[in-house]
Amino acid sequence: MMKSLALSLFLLVFVLAGCSEESQPIETAEVDTAVEEVTESGAVVPMARVERLRVATTTSLYDTGLWGYLEPMFEEQYDVELDVLYAGTGKAIDWGKRGDVDVITVHSRSREEAFVTEGYGVERVPFAFNYFLIVGPEEDPAGIAGMSPEDALTALMNNGEAVFVSRGDDSGTHGKEKSIWTAAGFDYDEDVRTAGAWYVEGGSGMGPTLVMANEMQGYTLSDIGTYLAYQGDLDLVPVVDQGDALLNVYSVLQVETSKNPELAFALVDFLTSAEVQQLIGDYGVDAYGMQLFTPCAGEAL
Amino acid sequence: MILQLKNIQQKKNGNKILKGVSIDVPEGSFFVLMGPTGCGKTSLLRIAGLLDSPSSGDIIFKGKKLTSRKKELLHTRRQIASMFQSPVMFRGSVSSNVGWGLKIRGIKKPEIASRTEKVLEFVGLSGFAERDASTLSGGERRRTALARALVLEPELLILDEPGTSLDPAFKRDLLKRIKEIHLQTGTTFVMATHDFTDALAVGTMGAVMRNGLIEQSGMMDDILFKPESRFMASFTGVRNIFPADFAGTEACVRQLTITHSGIKQGHGFLAIPPEVIVLSLAPNLTSERNRFNGTVKSIERNGTNWDVTVEVSDIPIIVAITTGALEELEIAPGTDIHLSFKASAVHVF
Amino acid sequence: MSHLFEAFSIALRMIVSGDPGVFSIALRTLLIASVSTLLATLLFVPLGCLINFSSFKGKRLAVGFVQTMYSVPTVFVGMLVFLMISRSGPLGGLELLFSPWAIILGEVVLIAPIITGLTISALQSTGKGLEDTAVALGGGRRTVILKVLSEAKYTMLTSVLMGFGRAVSEVGVAIMVGGNIAGYTRTLTTAIALGVGKGETAPSIALGLILLSLALIVSIIVNLLQHGGRK
Repeated sequence: MMKSLALSLFLLVFVLAGCSEESQPIETAEVDTAVEEVTESGAVVPMARVERLRVATTTSLYDTGLWGYLEPMFEEQYDVELDVLYAGTGKAIDWGKRGDVDVITVHSRSREEAFVTEGYGVERVPFAFNYFLIVGPEEDPAGIAGMSPEDALTALMNNGEAVFVSRGDDSGTHGKEKSIWTAAGFDYDEDVRTAGAWYVEGGSGMGPTLVMANEMQGYTLSDIGTYLAYQGDLDLVPVVDQGDALLNVYSVLQVETSKNPELAFALVDFLTSAEVQQLIGDYGVDAYGMQLFTPCAGEAL
Repeated sequence: MILQLKNIQQKKNGNKILKGVSIDVPEGSFFVLMGPTGCGKTSLLRIAGLLDSPSSGDIIFKGKKLTSRKKELLHTRRQIASMFQSPVMFRGSVSSNVGWGLKIRGIKKPEIASRTEKVLEFVGLSGFAERDASTLSGGERRRTALARALVLEPELLILDEPGTSLDPAFKRDLLKRIKEIHLQTGTTFVMATHDFTDALAVGTMGAVMRNGLIEQSGMMDDILFKPESRFMASFTGVRNIFPADFAGTEACVRQLTITHSGIKQGHGFLAIPPEVIVLSLAPNLTSERNRFNGTVKSIERNGTNWDVTVEVSDIPIIVAITTGALEELEIAPGTDIHLSFKASAVHVF
Repeated sequence: MSHLFEAFSIALRMIVSGDPGVFSIALRTLLIASVSTLLATLLFVPLGCLINFSSFKGKRLAVGFVQTMYSVPTVFVGMLVFLMISRSGPLGGLELLFSPWAIILGEVVLIAPIITGLTISALQSTGKGLEDTAVALGGGRRTVILKVLSEAKYTMLTSVLMGFGRAVSEVGVAIMVGGNIAGYTRTLTTAIALGVGKGETAPSIALGLILLSLALIVSIIVNLLQHGGRK
């Protein structure tokens, strides 16, 4: 009796899965409907063998919803299933090196260049930029508002009490933070990581790190896009937003070992096309009242 | 002989459980394997039931020495049925439990049904056929297990402590049924028990084991009244065991000279079963060779009988008498009394 | 507090209205966990039986090892499977990474010890006495094994359900080798992990409630089986 029950349960699941496959994916483009970000539309498991292309993206492009916005367009245009995997820049590059993804969109110039010169990537193609921010509690306990990023971090080091939450995950943002510490004259491993309890290595993505900084009422370095996407749930405000060191350039790189070079290149082409560049520039303006990304295809950044 | 075990040795985890045991079980007998817990009874029964193979030694079933060939073992095992100390019930009804052994032998359903019904009646479980076996009481479980083995009409039925942990009344009832089955079917039984009284209730012959060896074997009466060692005497509950110096048919227990029917020289032991001694107030004029007088030291109840301890020249001798005899004698501690017993009732070893 | 309450009511509305986004994830999770459990059952219930019914040197050590692996960290399995099926790994040619099959593979590995070990436990739970009884009543090797299997079947089904329970609720494997791709490899647990990270409470709660009810259903069935098994 029980056996047949279990069997029919299995069958039911399969039938249901088959049914939902037929329903067409619903296009979703809004950033402000948070629901669509976590959940999804479309098939439970596509049964038919479809062409798939994998892009590994830095979390900031995912958490802001930009990829969720662009994905269906690319899929429709090229009749392909685009799998968007989010990870820190370090992990995305590692996936690329292993040949597990076809394209990466990341934001760490030095590592991207190494990726290309080591023969893993075809070419580094910048397609958008924005700025990093140091965000923190409105009271600004360390008094760093308006400083240059290098001075701000030096002040935090001297303060020794105000909390700073680092991504600590080898991501592009983390790399940026390290480079600012270096520019301010500190050795990251020897001076900063051992500085004391105020320096927190979060070890997670941008969103969770912002949430963590908010809970601890500390400072953190964030890209503006993710900060804006999370702003509604946060008490943190931008404290430092001026300085060349804060420039944040996103590039797309086709992976050399991609099994589908035409489509991989098509994705690079898609991101840098005039039409999509326009969309990137407009993305989020309605929701946040300001530009999240500045398109920059063709510029040397 | 239906079953002969020859010089069986069994090792378990490096320990010698059986150290060379031989028994002969005649067809139609009720053979009882006795001995204290842990003496190796169960290990020997498992070998007899062909559930375990011995480390060394031979098993001879109906005159044929068994080899370790699986087919032959299975064939022989199907003529033997074993019932364990705490029977395990299969999931399902009583009748499905009882019928299982027949089912795997490929017997047709109607025959299984009729044989099951008959055997359940036999063990006193008629009306229990559809009961869920997991709801049975301890006694009902034993009887179901008995029926489960009995329905196979084995030539040899092996029972391991069938009465353990049952109420005395249930135990007596179960043993009575087992004895009836033995008498009615003529099936050969081998039963293990640590309780000598149980053994006496059902057995025709048997063996007493101790530390993986046979201490004594033979007819039940001989085991009861002719213990061959102190261990045997105390196991069977024979009291009045005394060290003695023997010279022919006479034995000296301190100052007392006791006549026995055997011939023995040197030092040894002598047992006088308390049941064989006759008490009387006046000197007893019988042909009995052993006649003494002494003083009653104590009178104690022993079950439904009484143990009277009589001191004969500093030697305490226990005499078992019935309540009726006690009332007739009107004795109390301090009473002078005469006692007598036959020379043939004295057992020497 | 009111924020949590509001999120809860949205979550309930999503479930009641049958929100397609929520339900496609739930259904996919169920499907992936079911296929994993089915495959693991087909492979490892027989293995458990084999181990139980055979005697070999180091059997107890083997069983002990299997039981230790019950609580193998999911991220460890995730990492192992990732390294195996990554394009530059030994099984890279199968192109399984970041697909539902990758999760299935990982979950099969993850629940293999549970299903093997609990199958052994289930068979042992019938006791040596049962096996002996079947032998004593004239059962040959095959008959005895079938009898033990039939006596243990409910407990064995429980072990399969326990495996399903672990597969459906694990997150490490699904996120590491599945990649949490929307519409493809997103499961209840990875969606919740993402949602909580993004502060999207309502859909996470909805997914969490579904996950919880799945776990509850499994546990109820297990209880029923164990109750039925005792009868």
